[in-house]
Amino acid sequence: MGDLIMADFDFVVVGSGMSGGWVAKELCERGFKVAVVERGRDLVPEEDYTDFLNPWEMEHLNWKSSQDREDYPIQSEVYAFHSYTKQFWVKDGEHPYETAPGTRYKWRRGHHVGGRSIMWARQSYRMSEIDFQANAKDGYGVDWPVRYDDLKEWYDYAETFAGISGNDDGIEVLPSGGTFQPPHEMTHLEKEWKKVIEAKWPTRKMIIGRAANLTQPTEEQLSLGRGQCQARDHCFRGCSFGAYFSSKHATLPAAERTGNMTLIADMAIHEVIYDADTNRATGVRGVNTKTMEATEITARAVFLNASTIPTAMILLNSKSESMPNGLANSSGHVGHNLIGHVGGAWARGTHTGFQDSHHFGRRPNGIYIPRYRNHTETGEGYLRGFGFQGGATRMTWGGRANEAGIGADMKDRIRTPGPWRMWLGAFGETMPRFENKVTLHSSKTDKWGLPIPVMDCRYTDNEVNAVSQAAEDAKEMMEAMGAVDVISSAGSITKDTLGAPGNGIHEMGTCRMGQDPATSVLNKWNQSHDVPNLFVSDGSFMTSAACQNPSLTYMAFSARAANHAADLMESGAI
Amino acid sequence: MSQLQMNRRGAIASLLAISAAGALSACGKIEQTPALVSGLAYAEPMQFFRADEMALIAAIADRIIPTTDTPGAVVAGVPEKLQALASEWADDGFRLFWRDGLAELNNALMTEGTAFADLSVAQQTAVLSAYDASVYSNAVENDLYKNLKSTVATAYYMSEPGATQELAYEAVPGAWIGDAPLSDYPKTWAT
Repeated sequence: MGDLIMADFDFVVVGSGMSGGWVAKELCERGFKVAVVERGRDLVPEEDYTDFLNPWEMEHLNWKSSQDREDYPIQSEVYAFHSYTKQFWVKDGEHPYETAPGTRYKWRRGHHVGGRSIMWARQSYRMSEIDFQANAKDGYGVDWPVRYDDLKEWYDYAETFAGISGNDDGIEVLPSGGTFQPPHEMTHLEKEWKKVIEAKWPTRKMIIGRAANLTQPTEEQLSLGRGQCQARDHCFRGCSFGAYFSSKHATLPAAERTGNMTLIADMAIHEVIYDADTNRATGVRGVNTKTMEATEITARAVFLNASTIPTAMILLNSKSESMPNGLANSSGHVGHNLIGHVGGAWARGTHTGFQDSHHFGRRPNGIYIPRYRNHTETGEGYLRGFGFQGGATRMTWGGRANEAGIGADMKDRIRTPGPWRMWLGAFGETMPRFENKVTLHSSKTDKWGLPIPVMDCRYTDNEVNAVSQAAEDAKEMMEAMGAVDVISSAGSITKDTLGAPGNGIHEMGTCRMGQDPATSVLNKWNQSHDVPNLFVSDGSFMTSAACQNPSLTYMAFSARAANHAADLMESGAI
Repeated sequence: MSQLQMNRRGAIASLLAISAAGALSACGKIEQTPALVSGLAYAEPMQFFRADEMALIAAIADRIIPTTDTPGAVVAGVPEKLQALASEWADDGFRLFWRDGLAELNNALMTEGTAFADLSVAQQTAVLSAYDASVYSNAVENDLYKNLKSTVATAYYMSEPGATQELAYEAVPGAWIGDAPLSDYPKTWAT
């Protein structure tokens, strides 16, 4: 064929992000030879990170230029995108996708070693028993083939290695395992707000966010070159201290130091190579994105961790005579059941009290209000629920010049910390539905030859009604604290005003796990029902979305899946 | 709202729409790009604002944020930051908004035939204080003035003197303290 062939690997892992890094670490530590393939470039902290820039060193007040908006029309809408973080986001024109007529989808992503573990917001929450039972209870999707107890020790393991700061809050819907580093302190107003909310609504809790920022690094973390969080809150620019969890600074270095990992960057994988005679995946095939050289990487087993949409694309594109609908797709569910988190419920307000309290540093974290709807409180017109992130800090100078007054008086006014600025924003669970899907375009390809994806995803009344109630709840909790000038999205939520699907940046579900091979792609070990040496442990395995930020769950499942795969390989089963 | 103001706002809105569609790309290509609208000529290569516009901007910026016990806007380099924004960052919609707006502001602040920039500091302070009050009480509508004031403040508080002398700045705080007495940290954080 003339293709470059790279061989002699036990495992090939496609994707180096949140989940792929974990798979690589576990497999390498078990002694296997692992190729980790990343379609983007490797990052060089000294060149790619901008975390040491002072405000006055940022050109044009760090305002996005019209050129940036033109180059990154979709990515530039993300809160974490600015002129000094754009290097972590894809240029949309180079990575096209389409949406089905009448639908919208916002796909937020970056291509580089570390993937979105470089730009994530680091909120780290476990799923609970009510989440694992949700599908079985209300009949949407299929039942999870696992329960919380199957994952508990893996959550403990993932939290300990990653380093999560937080409190053991003793909350049933947000379990913890005694594995946290010291929590960030709440601000004075947050402490007061917590009291008000918990007094007025006894089953609601306001807790400090659980964040993957090292507040007290362990020996293991220090040995990997990671350091304590310096409270700069520049995480989205990359962290030269390696103080927040990313595969780049945590799992991949752990894999690297075993001597068993080969990291292959700039390699876009297009298909899994399949041998029908043995019913085994024998490797992956792709193209060097710089040289366009076709390449095969052969291995005894394959992990797909390319993220939810690309993993589905790779499987759908891995067609063969015996697998005409794509690999591992006898169920017909690959690409379907696309889920995520729906935003759009928010409230902001101001509080003029507690003027004697201030704070020091910049906390890369906020507060969290775990789910209570359809659990301890009813939900009106919808299933499942939502959780809130939020916070309250003193206003700095932003926005405060836009008042009457100039000169020394204005300087003096702004030199003193402003009133408290409070905010709440919800993430709601979206329902698994077969009709929400990703397919491959019948004729268009990207410039490397992979058919582009077509997203076909719609919200329904369930999402609209949940977000409507979340917005009302946010407004009420803001007002209960005595906030003034409250603005919120309450009363304005319709299908049209909800953001596009994908906007929550937590796409999941396109290779869901389940008990039945007829209705699911993976078994409870993240292993293909159809092809026993093929595993998937990025967000595509998620059978339901819950409403918690999902990365910690990907970590726990990935570690568990990798160790199971290692057991199978050691026993000769794969 | 006067008819003139409505027309002006309509014109700006339509220009912003044009520019948002990508009428002009910004950095590095400016000298070669012909102005699409008369009035958008650069004073010099990479210098959009003319000397008279810069004088007006500097005078207004220094009255909004004068030197007190800490440096003011001009010492902090704010006019140059605005020149860079207009010359390198802005698109045609913004350039026209600023150029027309500065001309209008210059007329509005003209005092007995003397341009604002040529008034004494005391006169400038009195004239701009009165004008500022009329804008924020909605007696006068001037989006450019509000935009200019907010941009001046942003450029100032992001400058080194603004961040480190006027306000308090910690590049590397080291640790977060969530609940401290104001007396420990009495100044607004620059970021």
